Amino acid sequence: MRLPVSGHGASRGSALGRARVRLPHVLEIGEQHIEDVEAELDRLHAAIHVVRGEMRALRQRLHGALAQDIGEFLDLHALLLDDPELLQGLDTLIRNERYSADYALRLQRDRIAGIFTGMDDAYLRSRIDDIDQVIGRIHAALHRREADAGGVAGEILVADNIAPTELLQLQAQGVMAVVTAGGSALSHSAILARSLHLPLVVGAAQALSKINDGDVLVVDGGTGLVVREPDADDLRAHRARTREYARERKQLNRLRREPSRTLDGIDIKLWANAESREDVAEAHALGAAGVGLYRTEFLFLNSDVLPDEEAQFRAYRDLVLGMTGRTVTIRTLDVGADKADRTGLTLADEPNPALGVRGVRLSLLRERLFETQLRAMVRASGYGPVRVLVPMVCCREEMVAVRALLARVIDDVRREGHEVAEAIPLGAMIEVPAAALALPGFIDLTDFLSIGTNDLVQYLLAVDRNNEQLGELYTPLHPAVLQLLQSVIALAGKRGKPVAVCGEMAADPLFVPVLLALGLLEFSMHPGTLLEVRRAIRGCDLASLRARCKALLRARDRSEIQRWLAALVPQRANSSAQ
Amino acid sequence: MIERELDVTNRLGLHARASARLVQVLSGFRCNATLSAKGREVNAKSIMGVMLLAAGPGTAVLLRVDGEDEAAAAAAVAELFERKFDEGS
Repeated sequence: MRLPVSGHGASRGSALGRARVRLPHVLEIGEQHIEDVEAELDRLHAAIHVVRGEMRALRQRLHGALAQDIGEFLDLHALLLDDPELLQGLDTLIRNERYSADYALRLQRDRIAGIFTGMDDAYLRSRIDDIDQVIGRIHAALHRREADAGGVAGEILVADNIAPTELLQLQAQGVMAVVTAGGSALSHSAILARSLHLPLVVGAAQALSKINDGDVLVVDGGTGLVVREPDADDLRAHRARTREYARERKQLNRLRREPSRTLDGIDIKLWANAESREDVAEAHALGAAGVGLYRTEFLFLNSDVLPDEEAQFRAYRDLVLGMTGRTVTIRTLDVGADKADRTGLTLADEPNPALGVRGVRLSLLRERLFETQLRAMVRASGYGPVRVLVPMVCCREEMVAVRALLARVIDDVRREGHEVAEAIPLGAMIEVPAAALALPGFIDLTDFLSIGTNDLVQYLLAVDRNNEQLGELYTPLHPAVLQLLQSVIALAGKRGKPVAVCGEMAADPLFVPVLLALGLLEFSMHPGTLLEVRRAIRGCDLASLRARCKALLRARDRSEIQRWLAALVPQRANSSAQ
Repeated sequence: MIERELDVTNRLGLHARASARLVQVLSGFRCNATLSAKGREVNAKSIMGVMLLAAGPGTAVLLRVDGEDEAAAAAAVAELFERKFDEGS
């Protein structure tokens, strides 16, 4: 019987397929005995072997920002998967008690959970989540080998929650869409799903109780509606939506060679955030103005040893060559204690990594490391225009120190006979509220600015964007955020410094009118969303948005900001008809 | 068999990351290794074991290594503790 289950749309797209339900990872397995101990041990070890391979493959597919965010979990999980206590315990349970591998997993999980939950240290106590994930993976692998080696291809996954790592893997296995009972549209997973163009519905609270394995589902990642056992109307609607999305993509693709120009003829600069070779090629093909943000962390986090000058130089030079004369903005290392690496760079367990030694703070503490990185960038500038961007700046002193070091490095590299660009602009990331407020005091030390809205919003509102219970509180549509953005953009304009926004805010077409109204003329985003942003820009009239800036800044809360946005709709609808 | 008394002097003690470092270092050696503190002994090659020790800063732990490469293993671990698990600079 037809049954609608509603959630929140987190990643657009329409999907029709059979449900694959994954229950929460607390294993509910009754006591099971087996006859053949050796066969059961083989079955377990084969599953563990499969999981090990999956995790290795995942690690290799990660690059750039993802490697940073997800890599640390994978590393911990890899160690857990090889943990002798865990493995020997399982073998013993199977060998001595003749339990099935499934039941042994459950017993072992419960035993470990019992010890961990008794710990005083809240941080260590919460590591049980990691152990659950690893055991859940082994359990899944035990069954994957038996029945359906085909995995989730062509199916719709229904789960309590989804980790970004799993999304990557699911997409590789051919899953059509994902529906979760929990989660938020602002989570890392949601952002990732959008960049993968994988339909995702979150917050479908009843999904797990109403949907069973094998049910036929229609999922609309735009509205968040999930329908179990769809009727003729639902199927028609799905077909219409699929056609609509396909047409949309085709229309978007027609914009590949079009300028990012507003209705009143102003060209807006669209930069690409790019790390991988594919991103750079795509940025080039889409006509991006250049690379607005090249994160260098992956060079440091994907390896066991710190990259030397040559290795960094080659990476930066190839990036510059890939953009064939368009400007490339390279950000200096931005890691903190929340990013595990294998090189011993930031192994500090800080109680509060978001406020700890990270970004330019780490670079200035490790001057040798910083100098090496700057030398590599300066050498790359001999091959094409390079800008150097410094993250986490919070005061004038830091910019003084960076400027002096950069000047010295440029001199050194020139003196050694390398070709160096005439000018290497130095920019500051504006992501610490103090930097935004104190900008008049150090803007003279910068050549350009880049506003990192992800961290700026997090620090300004004191909201962790990955804390799903606070999901609604984390939003760029807060009067304090808009006022601060406006003051930074206005000051930069007055002083003739280019300024771009490079956070998620710049990648969301919804926010385009807001940013244009605030005076922004440069956006930087992942190439995957560049065309959508371009389309939004082409539907905006800059002069009339600028005229409404005061009204936007008068908004007292999110609903007033949303009303301001809603009032624009006629303008945008007109434009899309043209 | 070699026994070494070691002091946990890094700022957060044997948290996940320091534990991971220890297990990674020991995984390069063939000898058996245990850590004891607060009356509990755990397998020092097990990330879960080491985390369960919950040895905070200021804790004295006893490392026991037993096997052909025990001397090198003990030295590597002692050095890791001295370097405060490479935290910070």
